Amino acid sequence: MTLILAVNNLNLSFEDKTGRRKILDNVSFSVEEGQIVGIVGLSGAGKTSLLRTLNLLQPVDSGEIHFDGKNIVSLREDEIRKMRKKIGVVFQSFNLFRNRTVLQNIAFPLKIQGMDSKSVKKKVLEIAGELGLNHRLRAYPSQLSGGEQQRAAIARALVMDPRMILLDEPTSALDPKTTGRILDLVVELNRRHSMTFIVVTHDMDVIKKTCDKVAYLENGKLEFYGPAHEFFVKIEKNEVRDFGTPLEINGRLAGKEGKLLRVLFWGNRTHEPVMWKVSKELDVSINILYGKIEELKHGPFGAMIISVEGKQQEMFIERLRNSVYSLEEVV
Amino acid sequence: MAGEILKATLETLYMVIVSGLLATLFGIPLGVCLYLLSKSVKFRNLYIVLDLIVNVFRSIPFIILVLLLIPVTKNVMGTIIGPNAAIFNLTIAAIPFMGRLSENSFNGIPRGIIDSSDSMGLNRSQLILRVLIPETLPEQIGNVTVLLINLVTYTAIAGAVGAGGLGQLAINYGYYRFQWDVVLYAVIVLVSISQVLQFTGGRLSRFFRR
Repeated sequence: MTLILAVNNLNLSFEDKTGRRKILDNVSFSVEEGQIVGIVGLSGAGKTSLLRTLNLLQPVDSGEIHFDGKNIVSLREDEIRKMRKKIGVVFQSFNLFRNRTVLQNIAFPLKIQGMDSKSVKKKVLEIAGELGLNHRLRAYPSQLSGGEQQRAAIARALVMDPRMILLDEPTSALDPKTTGRILDLVVELNRRHSMTFIVVTHDMDVIKKTCDKVAYLENGKLEFYGPAHEFFVKIEKNEVRDFGTPLEINGRLAGKEGKLLRVLFWGNRTHEPVMWKVSKELDVSINILYGKIEELKHGPFGAMIISVEGKQQEMFIERLRNSVYSLEEVV
Repeated sequence: MAGEILKATLETLYMVIVSGLLATLFGIPLGVCLYLLSKSVKFRNLYIVLDLIVNVFRSIPFIILVLLLIPVTKNVMGTIIGPNAAIFNLTIAAIPFMGRLSENSFNGIPRGIIDSSDSMGLNRSQLILRVLIPETLPEQIGNVTVLLINLVTYTAIAGAVGAGGLGQLAINYGYYRFQWDVVLYAVIVLVSISQVLQFTGGRLSRFFRR
């Protein structure tokens, strides 16, 4: 896999009344071509700022951003303009041109390139068809629903055949049903065009449905960057501040002799009744205190808190540990 | 008398239209400059200077400005009386006014629209011609309407110092010769012109508003 984006030691700070405020603190990560990466974190953690630095809409204090093999931080102004044409951006508020129809909005990036109107029309109709906007081409943005505006904004970003698309909170203005459709669309586009997506979001559905990898920001620091299911592991272990588990774990939950275990499943393991099998064989009693299963992009992820009691409970723990994604004792 | 009123009306319209056209032609680019400079870090000082000049010209009362401009008007136009000399004065007064109005309209463009233009890799002239102007078209039409109506009033003031038009008619016949009916006619025509401008401008602006 080739890297499309590599960010090294990125620093960004803003000046305000209270002095200098650090927005991004030594952020480094890299993205392989064709992946969907989610950037998550509390509001004010620096998510949107990070996204805006990736096409230099937000200039940085220091650090490198390698896109398509070039360090874009050191580009001249005309080179920056050229680089930006390879990166599509879909903003949280869509930002469609108010005085242009959907057709004119989607055609806009091509028109300013000087493409002839016949090719523009062909390309726009093709993209609009793909996004189901054909019947709305003559409408103005103010006449569109939120979902339609979002699709028009995505179409406008897609029309240039960008290598990478940046999405800022793509679902925050949409109802759940429209959200689902937009996310399906993103996954579909990613698969069909092997286009790279970077998505800022606080919506767990976005991460579950679309993301290959997750970048978790806390106070401008990249506290986690890795595969999506590992992010869910962190959530279950309560290592991520704002997504914590719904269950407060304490000793009272387990029996007198028993042990409290956190069991995590990942991938096809969720299909097998391992726990039932092992507990039956070793004659231990298990009590499920908490359990959930999430459908992630690359397979199901399950989490359980169980208490286990019985003479062979140590054996049970060892056997179970070998057949699940992770298992640990919790107090 | 009717002939005189007609002639004065045509003079007023001539002054308003020509100076309005010139002020729009120079005022909107001035507004673009103000807007772009106000956003720039590098040209901060240039903005401060230009901003000051605009403020100074806007705060001088028109009648004083006409007096101050007499030597310049004489040099540029060859005369200081008549509609053409007045057009020069009106245009000088109206350009900063129009510049400020259009700057305000540009400031009303949501920041996201500018972000999204930047992220498409637009250069400066594309930003001006394809985003700033089209996005503020209804507001700019409204601005031109306000400008023209202001110019109607200003031509009347300029009439006091020999510009011709309805203002001069009202002063010469009405004020100096106590023919108050002439003043009344002049005022009726001036009000009608403003009404027509406001109505047309409003309609036009609404037509372009999406």
